Amino acid sequence: MFIHIDNKTYTVKAGKNLLEACLTLDLDLPYFCWHPAMGSVGACRQCAVKVYKDENDMKGRLVMSCMETVTEGLRLSIEDKTAKAFREQVIEWLMTNHPHDCPVCDEGGACHLQDMTVMTGHDYRRYNYKKRTYTNQYLGPLINHEMNRCIQCYRCVRYYRDYAGGDDLNVFAAHNHVYFGREKDGVLQSPFSGNLSEVCPTGVFTDKTLKEHYTRKWDLTMAPSVCNHCSVGCNTIAAERYGQLRCMLNRYNGDVNGYFLCDRGRFGYEFVNSENRIKQALIRSRTNEAATESEIMEHVQSLISMSKVVGIGSPRASLESNFALMQLVGKENFYQGISEDEAHLNRLVVEMLRSGCVHSVSLKEIEQADAVLIIGEDIWNTAPMMALAVRQAVVKTAASQASQEIKIPVWLDSAIKELAQEEKGFLATLTIATSPIDDIATHSWHAAPDDLARLGFAIASYLQPGKIVNTDFSEALLDKAKKIGDALKKAKNPVVITGTSCYNDNVIKAAFDVAVALNTGERKTSFSCVMTECNSMGLAMMGSPSFSVANENIKTNGHATAVILENDVYKHIPSANADEFFNSCDHVIVLDALHNATTEKAQVLLPAATFADGDGTLVNNEGRAQRFFQVIPNTTSQVQESWRWLKKLQTLKLHTLNGHALHPDDLLREMETALPQFEGITNVSPKHDFTIHGEKIPREPHRYSGRTAILANKNVSEPKPFNDGDSPLSFTMEGYKGTPPSGVVPFFWSPGWNSVQSVNKYQEETNGALRGGNPGLQLFKNKSDARDLFFNDVPESFVVAKDRWLLLPKYDALGSGELSSYTAALKTLSPQPFASMSTGSLQALNAKDGDMLQIVDAGIMYGSLPVKADENVCDGVVLVTAGLRESMGMSWGTRVQIKK
Amino acid sequence: MQSLTNRVKPVDRKPMTFLEKIYLWEIAKGMMITIKHFFKRKPTIKYPEQKREFSSVFRGLHILNRDEQGRERCTACGLCAVACPAEAITMEAAERKTGEEHLYREEKYAARYEINMLRCIFCGLCEEACPKDAIYLSQTFTPSNLTRAQFIYKKDDLLIPDPNKDPEQYAKALGDRKRPQ
Amino acid sequence: MAQFTEERLAKVKEIIARYPDGKQKSALLPVLHLAQEQFGWLSSETMDYVAGLLQIEPIEVYEVATFYSMYNLKPVGKYMFEVCQTGPCMVRGSEDIIEYIKQKLGIKVGETTADGLFTLKTVECLGACGYAPMMQLGKHYREHLTKEKVDAIIEECRRNAAANN
Repeated sequence: MFIHIDNKTYTVKAGKNLLEACLTLDLDLPYFCWHPAMGSVGACRQCAVKVYKDENDMKGRLVMSCMETVTEGLRLSIEDKTAKAFREQVIEWLMTNHPHDCPVCDEGGACHLQDMTVMTGHDYRRYNYKKRTYTNQYLGPLINHEMNRCIQCYRCVRYYRDYAGGDDLNVFAAHNHVYFGREKDGVLQSPFSGNLSEVCPTGVFTDKTLKEHYTRKWDLTMAPSVCNHCSVGCNTIAAERYGQLRCMLNRYNGDVNGYFLCDRGRFGYEFVNSENRIKQALIRSRTNEAATESEIMEHVQSLISMSKVVGIGSPRASLESNFALMQLVGKENFYQGISEDEAHLNRLVVEMLRSGCVHSVSLKEIEQADAVLIIGEDIWNTAPMMALAVRQAVVKTAASQASQEIKIPVWLDSAIKELAQEEKGFLATLTIATSPIDDIATHSWHAAPDDLARLGFAIASYLQPGKIVNTDFSEALLDKAKKIGDALKKAKNPVVITGTSCYNDNVIKAAFDVAVALNTGERKTSFSCVMTECNSMGLAMMGSPSFSVANENIKTNGHATAVILENDVYKHIPSANADEFFNSCDHVIVLDALHNATTEKAQVLLPAATFADGDGTLVNNEGRAQRFFQVIPNTTSQVQESWRWLKKLQTLKLHTLNGHALHPDDLLREMETALPQFEGITNVSPKHDFTIHGEKIPREPHRYSGRTAILANKNVSEPKPFNDGDSPLSFTMEGYKGTPPSGVVPFFWSPGWNSVQSVNKYQEETNGALRGGNPGLQLFKNKSDARDLFFNDVPESFVVAKDRWLLLPKYDALGSGELSSYTAALKTLSPQPFASMSTGSLQALNAKDGDMLQIVDAGIMYGSLPVKADENVCDGVVLVTAGLRESMGMSWGTRVQIKK
Repeated sequence: MQSLTNRVKPVDRKPMTFLEKIYLWEIAKGMMITIKHFFKRKPTIKYPEQKREFSSVFRGLHILNRDEQGRERCTACGLCAVACPAEAITMEAAERKTGEEHLYREEKYAARYEINMLRCIFCGLCEEACPKDAIYLSQTFTPSNLTRAQFIYKKDDLLIPDPNKDPEQYAKALGDRKRPQ
Repeated sequence: MAQFTEERLAKVKEIIARYPDGKQKSALLPVLHLAQEQFGWLSSETMDYVAGLLQIEPIEVYEVATFYSMYNLKPVGKYMFEVCQTGPCMVRGSEDIIEYIKQKLGIKVGETTADGLFTLKTVECLGACGYAPMMQLGKHYREHLTKEKVDAIIEECRRNAAANN
C-alpha cells in the first residue's frame, strides 16, 4: 500500500494506523497515550498530523494519527505548520502542571515526556499560575509514586487494569485534578506492577529498588541478558555501575516477553550485589581458608585425579557450565542435580517436544491463541509472564472477533473494549488449587493431579474417540470433557499448557495427548510445559541421569569426589538424602555464587559468576536457546564463570597447555559435536570475534560520564578498560554506533529517543520482530513427518487415603525463586512458609486453621509449618510453599504423613 | 641565488678589530638594557605574600554550593558529569531521608561526589550544566600536592563552608567571580 | 458505622432491581445520592458501606464519587451556597457576590463556617442565566442576587437553623 507523507511516497502495511506507519518508516512523530501493546485511544492529542483529501487539497484537516487507518494513496503531512503548532500547543498545555523537576526525577534522561517536549519544540513556559499538587501514595517496596509529574495519558490504568488485569490501581476525580493511584496507601497487588515504570511516559511510577542506588540511564553499562528466575526466559537488559548491578530493564523480544517483565524478573536481581556472594576461593581444611587461583587449581587437581569424580549439574547454570562439567568428569559420571521424579518429568517433556508432532509454543504465539487449556500448572505463580500472555489470548480473542464483526481495526482499543464488553476467549484452567488467572477462565476445576490427568485423557478421547484404550470415565467427567473439547474444537490456534509442578507424569501426558488429538487438519495446536528453573530444559536435553542415581552409585561404589555446579542440592532433594550423599563423598568441590546449605558442605569452594558477571546460554521451556552477556567487569575478584573454572581444571587434568584463551564459542562448538541434540547452538549469537567495520559493540552509551573519575579514588592511573574476549561487546563507550544484531543489543537508544520507547527504532514494524529477527534459537523443530506420539496411561482416580497426604508444591509469583528471594523488596512481599489443606483434610487431622503441622516422609521429618484452610484444595492433598528463601527440597508428589 | 624578499641583509664577514674583539662596547650596551629594566614596572609579584588579581571570569577550583539555609544544593542529577568533556566528574546519588531536610535541599543528594583535578580542564561546562546552582568554579586554583591521589577531590574537599556557621569562610570560598548567566 | 435507614435500604433494593442481574454496579450513582442525603457527605466509610451494598470493590466507588463534583467528599455545612460563576452570571457581577459572601461569612471558596452552617462553593452554569447572578441553595435557585439579598438569605438560614434546633 502506498501513502504520501510530506510529498514523499512510502510503502506501508495495510491495517496499521498512521502513527504506527510513520514510526515504522522511522519518521519521528510524538505520542503519549498510544502504546504498541495496548493500541490507541486518541486521548493525548499529541500525534496530530494533517491529512489531505487529494493532491489539490491545500487546506487539509488535522487528525490524530493514532486513530486513523492507512488507506491507499493517503496524503498526510507531519511537517505541516498547523500540525506542528498544534502539537507544540498540546505539549505546552500538558506541561502546565508538570513540576519540571527533571534533575531530581529518576526518569530524567530516559523520559518519554522529555523526548517529546524536545521533539515538538516547546521550550518556553507561558503559563505562570500555580501548579496543582498532589499527595503521593505508598505503593509498596517496588514502585515509587510521584503524582505531580503526571500528564494524564491514562497509560498506567490501561496497562494495569486492562492489560495485566489488576484491580487496585485506578483513576480518580476529573478535570484538572485527575489522580492515578490506589484507594489508599498499600502494596500494588499485581505481580506485573513493575512495568508501570516503563509504561509511564514520565516519572510518576519509577523503580523503587533503583532509587537505592540510583544511576542515570546514560551512566549505566548495559548488556543483553536473560532472566534467571523461571523457565520462560524473558529477555532483559542488565545494567551496572561502580561494580554493582543497578537495575534490570525489559529487552524487547517479539517472540518472548515483548514489552513487559514480571516483578520477579525485574526486581529479582539484587542477589548479585548480595552480602551472601562468594567472592573468594576457599579450601576449608586449612588454617588460612582463602586460596589463590593457582593454589586452588593445584589442590582441586590433586583431588580429582585421586579418586573417581562425580559431577552434579544444575538446572540454573548455563549450558556451557553444565557441559564443561560433563567434559571434566566424563559423560558417564555427569548427573543432573535434581530429583529422579523431576528428571523423569523433564525427560518426558524433552521426548514430547523432540518428537516434533506438536509445535512448542512461544509466548507471542500464546498471546495469539484463540483457546487455551491449562492442565495442572499454576502458571500465574510459576511462570508469571506466561499467565500474562494467556490473559492477552483470552482478551484479544474476544477483541478480534469483535473487530471482525463490524470491521474496525484491532488497535482501536476503546471502541473494541466497548464492543467486546465482558466477552472473553476460551480458557480452561484445570489445576490443584485456585489461581488469580481463574478470574478470566471460562472453566476452572480444581482436583488432585490424577483426576486432572483423567480429565485430560477424557478430553483427548472425546476429541479423537478410540485413541485412548481405557475409558472408564465417569459421566460427570465426560460431561466436563465434552464442554471443554467442544470449545477447543472451535478454535483455530489452540494452546495446551501444562507443567512439572504437579510432579505427575500422567498430567503432562494427558495434556500432550489433548494437544496431539487437537492437532488435526487446519487446526494448528501448540503445546507448552512449564519447568522449574531457567535452564531446566537445557539440562534435561543433555539427557543425564538424576541426582538420585548419583547417590545410589556413590553409596554402592564409595570413594568419590563430587563436583557440584551452582546447585543447592538441599533445595531440590530432601535433606536426609542430600546428607547421605555428602557423607558418602570423600571430597566435595562446590562452584556457586551464593552461600547456601550445599556450600557449607564444600571442602573446596570456587566463586562462580552469576548471569551478571559471566556469559552463558540458557534454554527456556520452549526449547529456545538464548545467550546472556557479562555486564559487571571483573578486574579484582576471583569470580569467574563456572565453565571457565572447569575448563581450566580440564586443561590441567589433561596436561594440555592452556596456551589460548577460552571462548564460550569454542565450548559450544565442542558441545555441538558431543551432543548433537544441540545442533546450531553456536549460532545463538554472533561469535566473540564479531565486529562491524572492525568495531565491537559498546556496552556503554555515548553519553557515559565520569570515565576518568570512577576508579580514580582507587587508582589514579586509569586502567585499561576491561577486555571482554568472550563476546562481540566491549566494556567501553567506543564502538559501533548503529543498530547491532538483535541478539546483542545492549540498550535501546536512538537520537531524540532516550526512553524505552526507542525500541520502535529497533523493530521491523511496531510491535513486530526486532530487525534481523528476534534473538534466540528454537532447538525443537516441527516435523511434518513426525510419528504421532500418544500416551495411553490413564491413571486411576485419586483416592483419599486415611493417614497419608499427597505432598505438592505451592509457588508464589514474587516470593519463589532461589536467587530472586535475595532482593530485600521481594522478600518482604513473600509469604511466610505455610501448608494449605482443605477443611475436610483438616478435620480428618483434627487440626484447625493456623495449627502447626509436621510433615513426615519415610522417616524424614520436615520442619513444622502453620496450616491454612483452603476450600479449593481437594481432600487428601497438602500444598506446601515452595521456592521461598526458607524452602527446602521435599519429596514432592509422594504421599506423606502429617503430624500435629 | 636570487633572493626571495627585498629585505635581505648581506652578512658582514669582515674580521673584527681589536676594540670589537674585547666586546666592551657590546657589554655596555647589554648592561644598558638590563639597567633600563630596573626602572620599569615589575611584571612579577611576590607570590604567595602577594596574590595576583584574577580576571572577573577566571575559572578556578570547583566548589559545591549551599543555599541560604546551609543545605547542600546538589541533587546528584549527573548533568555536570555528562557535560564534562574530560569525563572527570563522578557521583553517586542517595535518597534524602526524613529528618535530613536541613542537610539537603532536594529529595536526592550526592552521597559521593568526586572530581579528578588531574583531568579537569577548568572549562566551566559543569557550572553551565548545573540546574541547581550547585557547582561553581571559584577564583582559587588547585593547590599543589605531593601525591597524585590528592588531586582526586572528594565531596568534603569541594563542599563550601556553611554560610550560617561560617559566613566569612563561605564568602571567601565563593569569591566574586562573574558567573555565566 | 454508616448504615442506611430501613426506608432508604428499601429504596436501594428498588434501585438495584431496575438493572439486570449482576449489573447492580449500575445503581451506584443513585445510591450515592441517597447516602449523601442521609449523611450529608461521603466519607470513605460511607463509600465502603455502599460498596458492600452493591457487592463491588471500594475502589470502584471512590473512582465514581471523586469524578462528580456534586458528591461532597468533605463535610459540608447545613446550607450550601453554590454560586454560579459561568459567563452570564459573571457579567452580571457574580464575582462581587462571591467576594461579599466570603467577607460576610469569613470563609474561602470550598470552606465551611466554624458553626457548620454554611459552605461556599462555586459552580458552573446552572441554566438560569436569565436570572443572573444566581446560586443554588439546597433544592432551590436564588436569583437576581444582590448584597442585600445575600444578607437576607443568610439571615433566613440562621433563623431556620435556630428554629429547627
